[in-house]
Amino acid sequence: MAKTILAVDDSASIRQMVAFTLKGAGYEVIQAVDGEDALEKANKHTVNLVLTDINMPRMDGLKLLELLRKLSNYKTVPILMLTTESGDDIKAKGRAAGATGWLVKPFDPKRLLEVIAKVIG
Amino acid sequence: MTEIFDEHAATNFYFDRGFNTEAVKLLPGEYFVTSKDMMLVTVLGSCVAACIRDNYSGIGGMNHFMLPDAGGDPNSPLNASARYGTFAMEILINQLLKLGARRSNLEAKVFGGGNVIDGMTVTNVGQRNADFVLDFLKTEKIKVVAQDLVDVFPRKVYFFPKSSKVMVKKLKNIRNNEISAREKAYRKSLDKADTGGGDIELFS
Repeated sequence: MAKTILAVDDSASIRQMVAFTLKGAGYEVIQAVDGEDALEKANKHTVNLVLTDINMPRMDGLKLLELLRKLSNYKTVPILMLTTESGDDIKAKGRAAGATGWLVKPFDPKRLLEVIAKVIG
Repeated sequence: MTEIFDEHAATNFYFDRGFNTEAVKLLPGEYFVTSKDMMLVTVLGSCVAACIRDNYSGIGGMNHFMLPDAGGDPNSPLNASARYGTFAMEILINQLLKLGARRSNLEAKVFGGGNVIDGMTVTNVGQRNADFVLDFLKTEKIKVVAQDLVDVFPRKVYFFPKSSKVMVKKLKNIRNNEISAREKAYRKSLDKADTGGGDIELFS
């Protein structure tokens, strides 16, 4: 069965590009527009990997990460941050909150798929 | 390899005596966001600038970019130049949100994309840049409230985020060698740069 990825970004353009990349590689994709939306969808569906932006309205990606890690069924699900942020401080924060990896935008489709395969392959 | 993606904030501040205001000048590849009452200025040839502001708070900003000619299928959403353009726009929007702008309040005025660079007329770089920025804003549901795009003249754009006012001067009489040279250098740096994306780090 195809693995399911929850892709979270407030930018519709990025969501389109990410979804196109992931679907092309055979993944099921659930899209969410911010942290709150993502949390709701994460509770409703079985998700094999979360790929999330950080800077978003309502609830940002770091808060989402923190809340997901408190849920028993998301303790070990890989959570990748896909963000324009590349500072050491914010990276350390993400790492401490349980992020699996950090990808700085813009993303390269091929490398994104390689990383995903590595963490859920 | 990160050079291309290193969109950076404009740092060229000055006091504009003509307009009697604090001002900042944006060069190709730069952006600037502010909540202050000031003026953002840039000169565009085939590049485009998006002036985006929160129409409630007046927090606003501008960028100045062009799409790299990265080859590949221009209609694919994964085309490297579209990815770069999306990135340039996202940086601006993220900085606005960080200053307190609300995504739902954002509106845009877009300028540039003139067909002005010698030797670039065949591929019509300006039109491509203009099409991209309009497509992007449509996808993001950010309303375009004013535009002055394509044509054959370079433009000087003065943006006052606080009031949303924009003035555009079409540079019909000046020799645009300097604009052309600057854009060519910028374009060259984009074309040469690696399009392999940003850094990736796995923690575990």
